[in-house]
Amino acid sequence: MTRKENRADYPSHLKQVDRGGQQAGELEVDRLSLERTRAANEVGSAIAHQLNGPLTALRLYIGEIRQNSGRFRETAETQDSMQQMVEAAFQETERLCAMMRLIADTFEEPLYPETAAALGRDVINWWSRSNSTEGNVHAAGVASFALLTPREREVLSYVSQGCSNKQGAIRMQIGPRTFESHRARVMRKLGAKNAADLVRMALCEKVVTL
Amino acid sequence: MAALQLHGTERMPHLARATTRILVIDDDVCVSTAIQAILARHQYHTALASRAHAGIYAFQASQFDVVMIDLFMPGMNGLDTISRIRSKSAVPIIAMSGFRLRNSLDPDQDFLGMAILRGATISLRKPFSPAQLVAAIDRSLGLASSTESTMQ
Repeated sequence: MTRKENRADYPSHLKQVDRGGQQAGELEVDRLSLERTRAANEVGSAIAHQLNGPLTALRLYIGEIRQNSGRFRETAETQDSMQQMVEAAFQETERLCAMMRLIADTFEEPLYPETAAALGRDVINWWSRSNSTEGNVHAAGVASFALLTPREREVLSYVSQGCSNKQGAIRMQIGPRTFESHRARVMRKLGAKNAADLVRMALCEKVVTL
Repeated sequence: MAALQLHGTERMPHLARATTRILVIDDDVCVSTAIQAILARHQYHTALASRAHAGIYAFQASQFDVVMIDLFMPGMNGLDTISRIRSKSAVPIIAMSGFRLRNSLDPDQDFLGMAILRGATISLRKPFSPAQLVAAIDRSLGLASSTESTMQ
């Protein structure tokens, strides 16, 4: 039940983390990374869940249209191009459905079926809300991702994967101090106020480029 | 309630399908409308419910030959809905879900498998094709009559 409660008040969780982010230590970053991983999973699973409906409807319609596409023939010429387009639309839909299967297999469905759909919508709402209120900040953040060097991008990706300074440094085979200074530069370039901000920006960037 | 709309076609009354009534319980109206459109082309009657409670109400208020239930709905979930309907009737139930597994690390937590345990006749993973949909309906009707005959 505790996991359920945790999940339920997830958005307020983040706010709390934001406030405490000023004195960001290792522990804080670890906790944030964990939050981030969980948030990414939740958002991903929610999006996958929301996508499934329209995709199911699309597959049904396209499948039926394709089945009957021979019937609405006019001239042989229009029929050919129509059938080609229907076939293409069908193939694209099948491709999307195959992707959807992969996504549905990759993400865990939220733990409690009875709250899954509602939670999914909550996350979506929270996500779009937080993006619209901070629209400008977020847009500026996305633009400044272009300023990062490959090294700094690597650092950011480790941070957003949930690595601590130490873990990230080991993976990049550099000293923890160097990693830390890279991270500080990333924060400066992106205009992140604190570690929480950085993780959230990384999350948004990741979601935006998904 | 707007959740319950009865709809059907009487085009080919000589087919057994024309008298088959299907209840679709799914909170995503786009999905249930698509299912309805496809099934109407195959001469099935369908009724739609967008909430589990509305679905159970409709099921009690009218006669249905097959019930299709989405496993993830706000309010009462699909698994409980299956249990509720199964406790009252032997009607074939088709469970629908986009997610087969609850947890990719634990293959035992299979939603569609759980639906079968709760009494669903057939499970259908979303997104499904029109052919899969019609095959599931036909199969559930066949299974239902065969289980009936074995029970007799």
